[in-house]
Amino acid sequence: MKRAFAMTGAVALLAATALTAAPALAEDVITLGASVQMTGATANTGRYYRDAYQMAVDKINAAGGVKVGGKTYKLALKMLDNQSNVNLSVRQYVQLISGDKVNFLLGPFASNFVISDSSVAEKYQIPMVQGGGSSGQIFSRGYKYVFGTLPPAGNYYASTIEMMSKLNPAPKTVALVAADDSFDVSVAKGTRKLLEKAGMKIAVDQEYREGNSDFSSILTQVKAAKVDTVLWSGHETEALNFIRQMKQLNVDPNGMYAFTVGVPTSDFRKALGADANYAFGMTTWLPDASLKDKWFGDAAQFAKEYKAKFGYDPDYHAASGAADVETYVYAIEKAGSLDPKKVRDAIAASNFQSLYAQVKYAPNGQIDLPQIVVQIQKGELKPIYTTQFINKPDYPVPAWSKR
Amino acid sequence: MVLAQILLNGVLLGGLYGLMALGMALVWGVLNIVNLSHGALIMVGGYVVYYLFTLAGIDPFLALPIAMAVMFSLGFALQWGLLNLVVRSKMLNTLLITFGLDVVLTFTAQLLFSADFRTINPSYAGANFAIGGLTVPTVRLAAFGVAVGLATGIWVLLNKLPLGRAIRATAQNLTAARLYGVNPRMLYAVTFGIGAALAGAAGGLYGMISNLTPYIGASLTAKSFVIAIIGGLANPFNVILGGIFVGVAEAVTALYIGPTYTDVISFGLLVAVLVLRPSRAVRAA
Repeated sequence: MKRAFAMTGAVALLAATALTAAPALAEDVITLGASVQMTGATANTGRYYRDAYQMAVDKINAAGGVKVGGKTYKLALKMLDNQSNVNLSVRQYVQLISGDKVNFLLGPFASNFVISDSSVAEKYQIPMVQGGGSSGQIFSRGYKYVFGTLPPAGNYYASTIEMMSKLNPAPKTVALVAADDSFDVSVAKGTRKLLEKAGMKIAVDQEYREGNSDFSSILTQVKAAKVDTVLWSGHETEALNFIRQMKQLNVDPNGMYAFTVGVPTSDFRKALGADANYAFGMTTWLPDASLKDKWFGDAAQFAKEYKAKFGYDPDYHAASGAADVETYVYAIEKAGSLDPKKVRDAIAASNFQSLYAQVKYAPNGQIDLPQIVVQIQKGELKPIYTTQFINKPDYPVPAWSKR
Repeated sequence: MVLAQILLNGVLLGGLYGLMALGMALVWGVLNIVNLSHGALIMVGGYVVYYLFTLAGIDPFLALPIAMAVMFSLGFALQWGLLNLVVRSKMLNTLLITFGLDVVLTFTAQLLFSADFRTINPSYAGANFAIGGLTVPTVRLAAFGVAVGLATGIWVLLNKLPLGRAIRATAQNLTAARLYGVNPRMLYAVTFGIGAALAGAAGGLYGMISNLTPYIGASLTAKSFVIAIIGGLANPFNVILGGIFVGVAEAVTALYIGPTYTDVISFGLLVAVLVLRPSRAVRAA
């Protein structure tokens, strides 16, 4: 058996290396390297990065490229498929730096990947601007070369909890359900503090294994505790299972239920149909024309072009990925050099308006943005709350049996 | 009350686990192939039911027999054209080739169906009813019923029908079976076809309870493997019981120790069975 597994591992590795394409190296090219989830369990979110990186690079090249000290460079993208495997992605980043000699790094999706991959960037002192990891663990290690365009995971529920205290009747008890990977652990940790500050009681606090598909035990406890609100954190596929099983087991929180991920994506609404209604969620980004951009015009045009090109709607992952590419262009032009250290310092001083947000990094390398609370109302995604109500929430959420 | 509900959840889910493992146990027991692509076949079966439901508008439960027929044909063809080449060879060969098959099926599925999540969502998917304070999800109960029904069917097939006798005879003594006019190539293909058909039914039910992506195969293979060993390969009812045992163990673990540990428990059970009854892992057919 042991030999069998060693053999199968070798075959898988061989297949993986055969799949990576040869780099297109020409003169006057700045190569950005990334390893993203094109296949495997998180390919569904990984594609946002793959497509957004590609689209941003194409757009910037079409507009002339990057000017460095009187010379014009084109951007090139070297992307590898990490197959949703952290260990493989670390090896690929080493390969990108030492073998392919890319100039700078873009990130993978998800905090647990970024935590490991950014160590490679730090070791080789090559900047990594990433839009896929938000866990505090990424930015608390004193690293100088990792930058993030997703806001801190611990604050994801801040705006939701602020909104909850303004609802009538305001929820008093909460069930907190979170996965056990680094992003969700950070969310749960931050949310516990926020709830305590808001004077709400955590009646059920459950952690589940990442990738879990059966929530019936947790839901039975949530139901028995008769909570007002369920705050949930995990991955999109698990969110779908959770909501379907809520219905199957008649779990009706008195007030509302909210998710960190899933709700803003069109995929979520498509998979659940009418059962997606009333779910609260959050996003750092909505395709709004008020977000001006040097290359795309504004966020609304970005979303339109993206949809036309790839056949599905972008969400904040895609916008965050595009902002990562733009960060490099601004920083390289300002540094007037391709030296990793000079570009790193220019990135740290970034301050520009983009289709994603006003991009500005805190001293630890992470952006800070408010989460917009959203809700699905009659099959449509509606922004509900940022610091005040934008639209009226459907609250309290009706019981499953009364829909 | 919470405990009773959780036990019920575990039993209902365990029935489906058992059905998942049933096809794997059958193929393992008769052909001595540990089919690492079994989970991928479950996945493909799920997509067949999904498309029959969404494109042709066929009720998912009525689509199950159609999906089983489709999966039987696929399984038959795979065994006839591919796996028969390695059926009596070393374990390593069959592991390698079924692993390769798993990769091919998974990535073909991603090309054809994309990595999007799919759910089989008939109007009654969330329906439930109450008995004595317990909530019984209708679809899960029906899935449990289908699992027990199919296990009964397989038991009747193996023990009462000529085809089943031929299958068992081939597993026990190939030469003697040949002398009685059994064509082993054909029989292997039929057996693998039945295994794939059972996987197809399990996939359809899984899609109604959970969701489908091209990548669910590996974890379902692992779960089926554990249950096939715990339940043994000889008796279909024991496989279902093995599934229920694992389902209940996971549910109770989630309640008392924490949901993070459910896999530790199911694989821990596997280790316990291997230590206490090692003969099961060697050859139980």
